[in-house]
Amino acid sequence: MIVAERKPFDEIRQLIKGYKRVLTVGCGTCVAVCLAGGEKEVGVLNAELKLSQKTEAEPAGFGEATVQRQCDMEFLDEIQHMVGDYDAILSMACGAGIQFMAERYPDIPVLPAVNTVFIGVNKDVGWYEERCKACGNCALGVTGGICPVTMCAKSLFNGPCGGTNQQSCEINADQPCAWHMIYTRLERQGRLDNILQIFPANDWRNQKPQTLVQPGYEERKASE
Amino acid sequence: MTTKQQNQVEKIHLETTVAVIGGGYTGMAAAKTLAQNGYPVILARQENDGAWHDTSLTGLDGLKTLENQVADNGPIDILSQSTLIEAVGVPGDFTLTFMSEDRRVEKKAGAVVVATDLSSSPLTFIYGLTPCASVVSLSELESLLASETGQKEIGDKKKTIAFLVGFAHEGNPLLMQRVLESVRKIVEMDGCTAYVYVNNLKVAEDGLERLYKQGRDNGAIYFKLQTAPTVIQNNGDLRITFYDPVIRNNIELSPDIVVVEESLVADQQNISLAEILRIDLGPAGFLQKENVHRLPVNTNREGIFVVGGGREIQGLSKSLADVDNMLLQVRQLIGGGEKTVAAKAVVDREKCTICLTCYRCCPHAAIYWDDKAVISPAACQGCGICASECPMDAIQLTDFTDTEMTSRIREAAAAETKAAAPKIIAFCCQNSAFEAGTAAGLFHYDLPAGLQIIKIPCAGKVDINYILNALVEGADGVIVMACHTGNCKSESGNTYAKWRINDAYRKLEQIGIPKNRLEFATLASNMASDFARIVIDMEKRISQK
Repeated sequence: MIVAERKPFDEIRQLIKGYKRVLTVGCGTCVAVCLAGGEKEVGVLNAELKLSQKTEAEPAGFGEATVQRQCDMEFLDEIQHMVGDYDAILSMACGAGIQFMAERYPDIPVLPAVNTVFIGVNKDVGWYEERCKACGNCALGVTGGICPVTMCAKSLFNGPCGGTNQQSCEINADQPCAWHMIYTRLERQGRLDNILQIFPANDWRNQKPQTLVQPGYEERKASE
Repeated sequence: MTTKQQNQVEKIHLETTVAVIGGGYTGMAAAKTLAQNGYPVILARQENDGAWHDTSLTGLDGLKTLENQVADNGPIDILSQSTLIEAVGVPGDFTLTFMSEDRRVEKKAGAVVVATDLSSSPLTFIYGLTPCASVVSLSELESLLASETGQKEIGDKKKTIAFLVGFAHEGNPLLMQRVLESVRKIVEMDGCTAYVYVNNLKVAEDGLERLYKQGRDNGAIYFKLQTAPTVIQNNGDLRITFYDPVIRNNIELSPDIVVVEESLVADQQNISLAEILRIDLGPAGFLQKENVHRLPVNTNREGIFVVGGGREIQGLSKSLADVDNMLLQVRQLIGGGEKTVAAKAVVDREKCTICLTCYRCCPHAAIYWDDKAVISPAACQGCGICASECPMDAIQLTDFTDTEMTSRIREAAAAETKAAAPKIIAFCCQNSAFEAGTAAGLFHYDLPAGLQIIKIPCAGKVDINYILNALVEGADGVIVMACHTGNCKSESGNTYAKWRINDAYRKLEQIGIPKNRLEFATLASNMASDFARIVIDMEKRISQK
């Protein structure tokens, strides 16, 4: 799941400065699950914004909506009837959702209300940990289900480095060494020989914008 | 956006079988009582269940008799050597998985009764003594007295036995009863002597004073001391020296055996049972939190009851009272296997994004999921923690919907009041502060002119949105009043409320609104004057600005 966090209130206040009518739009998928941008957070943010506008001579107006996913055009279409009434959209979706919103409504500024932080897991309510960097070349099958790109501070595919220190990483004693974890996991599964496998230099495909078409859908895409 | 609510009243079928976990005296009594009242029973026993109570049974059916009665009672399915390893489901429909004699056994039950026993833990080390043939624990003495060879060993050799009681810990009547029973047995043996070195005599239970007197009449000698006597252990040789406050002299005695007291502790199993059954573990490993709102045998989960030594240190008479209370609760829950329940909380399945927040936050384990969150109407206690935590506002309490609450807040903020009187909205838990507030009104305490009380089912229902919107709508001050710490009917409603208030403080600070416009307070329902003080203080604070 994509994990995001609310931007500091002051930053949001600066972003919407000068706009008289702002539509805050939540997203009902990843950012709702990580308690950053679902319907509840839309209500909370709007209440904060309304409170902060109380002292203004002409307080701005705020509207709200939450769509299922801001990364799907069909769901973004659902707010079309509202958008005309506003002069800015404050999106609480991840970076992808915000950009898709901006693409769908190109005539109106679309502003971010959250920072997209990582792809991660839910440890508990409100507690998330990063697990994936979307590097585009998954090594988990060889590394015992532990990602060296995410969990190693240097993203080493062939580790560990000289900084491994009694199971910890040199950057911080509380940060476990990813390659130590990989070693113990492989040892536990009797697959230690995996550790000798050398990975070639990674093709860091995620350094430029990616398009992915699932194999079964290539013809569908070509027909468009 | 509108909330699509499920049918709010539904007829549900409940499994009438009740699972009893623990096959000691209480567990068997529970099984027998349930079976006699028409409930099929699964009795999950372990090998050494019941071992502990055997020696202390007086005037009650012996364990063996009960065992036979249980075996004779038709619908009792006994799972021997069984440990609970998994439990899923809701009241009326639990699925329990046991490892029984190394096999996985799955059983359906409408309710679960946990009847684990107490266990004894020796305190010999606190007295600095080394266990040996002449330094024994109370349990060891009890088994000696229960066996023929043991009786012979003590009786034939006319032994002198000394007891050390109440110096290593405060003790309790249950332990005292065991000491008194053993003392009685010893002094009834011809030529045997019992010395009891005791701090406080814990006889506040039926029949204990009589038992104490019986022992003394037969020659048991009690030394009531403030501090433990000095015991010198030299191989098998024992010397006890102490200052006797009655004859005002130092005394030395040499008994043949020293019996050291024990402590009663919760069954080790309780820890894993609490985790598997998702019930709260209380102090010292007992299966209940100290919560004044809870009936004796109830846990934080509906349909899971705890009786006897599983919930506190108590003797058999109290345990048997627990069994009767449990039967009442089972009857109320399951009845004849069918009942009509009104949903206290409903999930809008279109909005639910199945983030599991509600599942993880529910203090009553009333929420599960199919492809969306589902709230069991039989298990839900209507606290509203889930509704206020749901990131999609997909859960509504039927009696406190967001729409109703929002208009209530709007009305409260718009209410006519004396000019210049600050508007204060107080969200009050119906279990405590709402009662206190109502009483403050009835007693004509001085209350702010602009005070508006909004009743909530539990402080856990106070959504951060309610707080912020009360201020948006024009309230000058907001107070959230919850039950005292550890006193929430839903265990953590007040904690969630406190966390949200702290979150709101952070937000108000960023917005630039004085933090003193918001307050969190805990109250009990009889604290009307404190209620008045809290709201008046807020009025003063706001007026100063």
